Amino acid sequence: MAGVEKRTAPEPTDVSILTGPGAERPPRDLQRTFQLVLATVWLFDAVLQLQPFMFTRGANGFSGMLDNVARGNPAWIAHSIRWNASNVYHHPIPADTVFAGIQFLIALGIAGKRTCKPALVLSIVWSIGVWWFGEGLGGVLAGLGTPLAGGPGGVFFYALLAVLLWPSHGSDRPFVAARTVGVKAARAIWVVMWVLLAVLAVTGSGRSPRALRDLVAGMEQGQPGWLAHVDRSTASLFLHDGSTVAVLLALVCLAIAAGIFWSPAVTHMTVAVAVAVFALISVAVQNVGGILAGGATDPNAAPLVILIALTYWPLTDGPATSTGRWGPSSPSKEA
Amino acid sequence: MSTPSWLYYLFGGLMLAVAAYCLILLALGAATNRPAGRDVEISHVFMGVAMAGMFVGPWSFGRRAGWEVIFAVLMIWFLVATVQSIQRWGLHLPHALIHAVMNFSMLLMYWFPMSGSSASGAMSMSGSPSGPRLDGGLAFVVAFILLASAIFTLASPVKGRSHFGSHAPAYALQGAEAVLRRPARDGASGALVEMDEAVAAPWLVDVSHMVMCIAMAFMLMLLV
Repeated sequence: MAGVEKRTAPEPTDVSILTGPGAERPPRDLQRTFQLVLATVWLFDAVLQLQPFMFTRGANGFSGMLDNVARGNPAWIAHSIRWNASNVYHHPIPADTVFAGIQFLIALGIAGKRTCKPALVLSIVWSIGVWWFGEGLGGVLAGLGTPLAGGPGGVFFYALLAVLLWPSHGSDRPFVAARTVGVKAARAIWVVMWVLLAVLAVTGSGRSPRALRDLVAGMEQGQPGWLAHVDRSTASLFLHDGSTVAVLLALVCLAIAAGIFWSPAVTHMTVAVAVAVFALISVAVQNVGGILAGGATDPNAAPLVILIALTYWPLTDGPATSTGRWGPSSPSKEA
Repeated sequence: MSTPSWLYYLFGGLMLAVAAYCLILLALGAATNRPAGRDVEISHVFMGVAMAGMFVGPWSFGRRAGWEVIFAVLMIWFLVATVQSIQRWGLHLPHALIHAVMNFSMLLMYWFPMSGSSASGAMSMSGSPSGPRLDGGLAFVVAFILLASAIFTLASPVKGRSHFGSHAPAYALQGAEAVLRRPARDGASGALVEMDEAVAAPWLVDVSHMVMCIAMAFMLMLLV
């Protein structure tokens, strides 16, 4: 190739030739992009698992964290959680090393194309285990499962994403979540998820102003100044209007559940509202899982809810059809 | 019970391995006139050595101000390269940008050393307990970018981009293979070129980039 002999590259007229060996840039595989974002979150979790306090015993250590989630659960579930916490207490270093190792394995596995499926299966199995032993079933049975606190549990959404993003051939249209499970199943999952969030928002301590206030007030310590300021405002709002906020959140979740059955324009707005609401919850209530204060194991549920919502972003402007696929411009080609 | 010191020795060892690897790449690249990747190699050598010293106290050396100057200069270098790449090839995400972020991370590590109470005995990053703390939000964002770079590098079907960049003159035409096999390595010994092709294998340079990114993200989380 004559061009290679020269010291300088030829001036290109089309940037797409600069992407490497391929002459043309292939269409972006959005499902793969979402898988890689999920892998990045898993990798973040793995790195957080290596924080010094995770290797320690006591109330502020890893075993103490696990022991705390037993509170409020039915006796037999609490017993199983305490049994696991006791094992971690007696072997904190090997236990935490294994926990971190599995999360590294999941993250790097998802990133590899050939290892993606086994890694996603492992992520589902691991998520179920962590949901039980590490999150106390997300506090759902203890009446602590409000979405404001991260209910029904962050790992619940990791598992859901593993299902929605299961590798498959075909088009990313009408939205990425439908690529593997199909439009009807994807919509059913969406509805169940948002109705569940709505119910959890107004059950148990979810509508108690004092419980909601305590949720935020307890997180203020160690946060950056700007976030501590936000926390104080949120705590005050919850104390005075906690019940109203809970009911409003439930109504918004129900509206979001219904929003994807309308035109793509309405669905765009629905997904945007879902992303905005949970971005607000992530920062102003969950404090990004407490990561900014240096004592967290994951970014909590809100970022995962946002990721799920984005997989439902409509990718075509055509009208909804009776088959559930949008518009004539939507390619129906399935490989 | 404190954090196991083997973890810090592991990360410190990995950092030294990356630094040594990039030093070899640098030497081979200079000897064989390899047309791309030298700035990244220089950057990784300094980062590897500096971070090894952060993870394992006895391995640290040099004045903090000196390291800060090095990483500030490298960050500016990569920022300029980013701007030049965008000016030349249009709007895209140049690989130089992630290296600018990595050098910025190094600066953060020196500007906000770990507080005395949270530093392990093995580490050298303990500063005064009352010193300024790294903002958790900034650390979170930078760490997430670094980890995303590690994952997307591993997943990229085009290997070696993290090191050579997809817009290096030769790379733009034929990818990493062209950078390594470029016939214009005037006067370079065939044996050395072969050795360079083996050592600078695209997957290997990607692995060194990933290891560096993960170690940096971990260090940033330790500083919060």
